[in-house]
Amino acid sequence: MNHVSQTARVGLFFLLGLALTWVTFQTLNGGKVFRDKGYRLVAGFESLRELKKGDEVRMAGVVIGSVEETRLAGRRAEAVLHIDRTIEIKRDATASIVMAGLIGTNYIGIDLGSAGAPPLPAGAEIRTQITPDLNTIMTDLAALGNKLDHALVTLTGSLAGDGKGSVGIIQKIDLLVTENRASLARTTTNLQQVTDKLNRGEGTLGKLINDPKLYDEMIGTLGEIRRGAGEAKSFIANAQAIIDQVKMGQGALGALVFDQKAGEDFKSTIANFRAVSDKISRGEGTLGKLLQDDGLLRDAQLIMKKAQRALDGLEDSGPITAVGVVARGLF
Amino acid sequence: MKPLTAFLDGFGSTWLLLVRVVSHSGSLPRQFHRFIDQCYLIGYTTMPIVAILSFFIGSVLALQAGYSMQNFGTQQFIGSLVGLSMARELGPVMVAILVAGRVGSAITAELASMKVYQEIDALETMNISPARILVMPRLAATLVMMPVLTIIGDLVGWFGGAIVADLTEIISIEPEAYFAVLRRYTHFSDVLNGLIKAELFGFAVVLVCCNIGLNTRGGPREIGAAVTRAVVVSLILILVLDYFVTQVLMLVSS
Repeated sequence: MNHVSQTARVGLFFLLGLALTWVTFQTLNGGKVFRDKGYRLVAGFESLRELKKGDEVRMAGVVIGSVEETRLAGRRAEAVLHIDRTIEIKRDATASIVMAGLIGTNYIGIDLGSAGAPPLPAGAEIRTQITPDLNTIMTDLAALGNKLDHALVTLTGSLAGDGKGSVGIIQKIDLLVTENRASLARTTTNLQQVTDKLNRGEGTLGKLINDPKLYDEMIGTLGEIRRGAGEAKSFIANAQAIIDQVKMGQGALGALVFDQKAGEDFKSTIANFRAVSDKISRGEGTLGKLLQDDGLLRDAQLIMKKAQRALDGLEDSGPITAVGVVARGLF
Repeated sequence: MKPLTAFLDGFGSTWLLLVRVVSHSGSLPRQFHRFIDQCYLIGYTTMPIVAILSFFIGSVLALQAGYSMQNFGTQQFIGSLVGLSMARELGPVMVAILVAGRVGSAITAELASMKVYQEIDALETMNISPARILVMPRLAATLVMMPVLTIIGDLVGWFGGAIVADLTEIISIEPEAYFAVLRRYTHFSDVLNGLIKAELFGFAVVLVCCNIGLNTRGGPREIGAAVTRAVVVSLILILVLDYFVTQVLMLVSS
């Protein structure tokens, strides 16, 4: 192999190495050798929990920096956040420790804050918010479990008694049943018999339940009752209509009852009638005389006798002379 | 007493060799052809085996991690595990071990035979420093080639992990998701960390192998013994150095 080609190969190989390094450099970490120079913020927490150096800082889910340092500062824990230079964090943004997974990965989540608020300067302290972590939730759950346990014990105690004199509900029910066993059994037997009878169709109720004919009759009766009720309704409607007419002064009765003038006429008619009947009873006038005077009656009887005679003569003679006979008999 | 003396002897002579190499470093441009020869041997010819090994290291890492991570349902983070492990630890260490086995052993064998057959003595007689023409080009070539090999190893390992994560039924992570997680949690500083480690490992391995080769005494049998010793010492050195370098880098980067 000649020397030139060997040199070329080595040179190409070296260039390949440089190119690969450049590609790796560009691909990883967005072309930054070390972490970009940004600015720092301090976040104070009651407890940093599992947060550690190097954990992510995210704003609305986007990685914007990392936790640079964790330290104790007096009565609280502080995390120093390293934020990218290009990211602006609003003064009213809130940081909280967020759990990313169950295996202890945490990150600091920062919300966007309000749009108009001024940005936080470097080194400032960001507002923080406590979010319940898994341990707190577990402790709460344990407390809840204890309460539930206690409630169940109480319930069990009231149901079964505490075994020291006080009698539980179940025991009371048990006692009640035991004491009344005989009467309960009797009641049950009676009930049994009653239902048996019903089932066999004995007695009124049984027949009612079991006999289809009775049912049909009952349905028929009900139909008749319904029809009667319908008629009664129409009767009442008619009566109503009549009463209405009377009220409106229509018809004779209506006029009589509700018309002032007709009423007075009626009253005067009655008075006249009384006067006439008085006169008649006193024998005044024709009709009175007729009724009171015997002579009139005798005259009338005489006339009737004459008429009788005339009629008898009429029967004997022919029809032509009948008129003459009648005229003679009468006059 | 003898092993301790031997250890101190080797330790001291390595440092002396380093001082001599550094004092001759100005002559590198005049030895450009030697430098290119060593680059070819150390870098170019080692690349295929680095690629194969890293591919399977990444694959098996993804497989084992997926197997153990499925217990927690955290398979989606497999990309970050493979990415960080390959970049920070396995990439540089595996490349250094390969260089020790393939390049370091060859260097020791070559220098030991030169020493045994008195070529080194001849050079010294002619007032040519072996540190200048034998050791310095090799060390320079190692310094240039180690990062290249390591970045290739890292990337091939990541792709190996991605393929296994996609194809293995118990993991079933799409390559997009795998690389998204990898990119999110692996920083270039991690890769740089690994490159620095690889540089240090390669430098130490080649220096130690050169020193052992140049200090071989006796006949041809000693050549084999020297190679064995060089590889063993290199491996131990890599892993011991790894721990301390990692500690120092963590302190520095934090």
